[in-house]
Amino acid sequence: MVRGELDKLGLPYAIFNQREFDHAHMSFEISGKRVTGQLRIRSNTYNLEDFVGVYTRLMDDQLLPEIRHEPPDSQRRRYCRALHDTLIRWCEVARARVVNRAEPMGSNYSKPYQLQLIRDQGFAVPETLITNDPDLVREFLGKHGRIVYKSISSVRSIVQVLKDDDLERLDRIRWCPVQFQRYVEGNNVRVHTLGKKTFATAIFTSVTDYRYASRVEGGTVEMKPMTLPTELAERCVRLGEALKLDFAGIDLKITPDNKVFCLEVNPSPAFSFYEANTGQPIARALARYLAGLD
Amino acid sequence: MLAYSLRWEHRLGTEGASIEITLADGRVIRSDSTYGVLNRLQTIPSAHLRASPTDRDYAVQELFAFFVSWLNVFPGAVLNPPTPQGLSGQWRHASEWVVLAARAGLPSLPYRQTSHDKIDTSRLIGRLVPRDTPVQTVIVVGGHVVGSNVSPEIAEGCKRLAEIVNTPLLGVEFTSGLAGHWTFAGATPLPDLTLGGQALLDVLARVLKAEKEVK
Repeated sequence: MVRGELDKLGLPYAIFNQREFDHAHMSFEISGKRVTGQLRIRSNTYNLEDFVGVYTRLMDDQLLPEIRHEPPDSQRRRYCRALHDTLIRWCEVARARVVNRAEPMGSNYSKPYQLQLIRDQGFAVPETLITNDPDLVREFLGKHGRIVYKSISSVRSIVQVLKDDDLERLDRIRWCPVQFQRYVEGNNVRVHTLGKKTFATAIFTSVTDYRYASRVEGGTVEMKPMTLPTELAERCVRLGEALKLDFAGIDLKITPDNKVFCLEVNPSPAFSFYEANTGQPIARALARYLAGLD
Repeated sequence: MLAYSLRWEHRLGTEGASIEITLADGRVIRSDSTYGVLNRLQTIPSAHLRASPTDRDYAVQELFAFFVSWLNVFPGAVLNPPTPQGLSGQWRHASEWVVLAARAGLPSLPYRQTSHDKIDTSRLIGRLVPRDTPVQTVIVVGGHVVGSNVSPEIAEGCKRLAEIVNTPLLGVEFTSGLAGHWTFAGATPLPDLTLGGQALLDVLARVLKAEKEVK
């Protein structure tokens, strides 16, 4: 989608397809504050300092189909790793706009840690308890009536409501603390921030975690563009900036009495899902941002 | 000790965050009565986890994410606050340190990397020189500089670097190079504290006992 928008804008770009690593070479050098280098893809050579924007959607290079059957220490596998390492290291120090650098994406690896950063930017956050004590969980449930449990890390991160049959196996948490949160009633809103721009999408769903509605029998999701109040839009922009994310997917919940909670900030937002359902011009905005036009 | 804690209670919400840990020997650590934390954690205690390899890996990631959060709630000085890139402060690649050192005004060795290079693991932990290269280490502790024969310019550069990277306890390494004896050669959030002697201990004590800030 971004490529299509760059074409419409008539802007030059280079595409590095990870699966063609055999045909690429990269080098960079740092002297003082200056970072220079070259990227060669097949017969095309680019000076790294000429790039003004970089959009990364990399998968784990060690899982690429092209090296799946390579022995652990094969030259081809080592070259693949070295090329990706060079690319990733350059992205962290390049003067170009990089969407997004690896370091700030790390805040999402610990959900409660990120929640503290979100709270520091003036957002209300759901009351959260992380514990290995079943009695504390029962007390938390009694206080809030309805609670959810979810991963503390970004692995296996699916939100589930705590049900009666979950209480029967609550003793298992003694092995490893689990994260519980007060369930916030209200409407989901995803806000994509890109620099100073915001794209807000209202989501109406019949399931707890709309991202996985297709896995739930009868699960439904509907999306509509919406306009945020100016103050809230500005607060979202500041949140993205505070987390050093050029491009962020901020998950809000707006309660029936209009209180706004922020649940999470996604550092690698799958914006195409929202654009495909609403027509919001996020890809175009991203293309313009990468080109330094906005 | 932490690995076998009997009870963990980490709470957070709009009003604040807290941690209460009941250790196996019955002692209790509470964030509201802890003044100053020297954080030297490098890995997550996980020997006690009994699970399949996949579930065990998941549990380790959960524990890591948990530690990054609860270590962040102490109101006083924390040397260093945890980050997703390192429990005792952020580990950075050597290439990032070269750029950051330049921003801090520290003359640095140049850096070069190509896709034909063998991946150098020492660069992963912020070193620009091989392990056996003699280096001089300056340690920054909460804005104070500890080191021998450190010029005011280098001391200020080290303080600036620690501030830029938000790492109050930072070991900054120097070697002989183009800028003379004080050419930046790397940095670490986990410096060898024995290098600082009594002077470092005095500074650590002062910083850790400093008035707690409201979080």
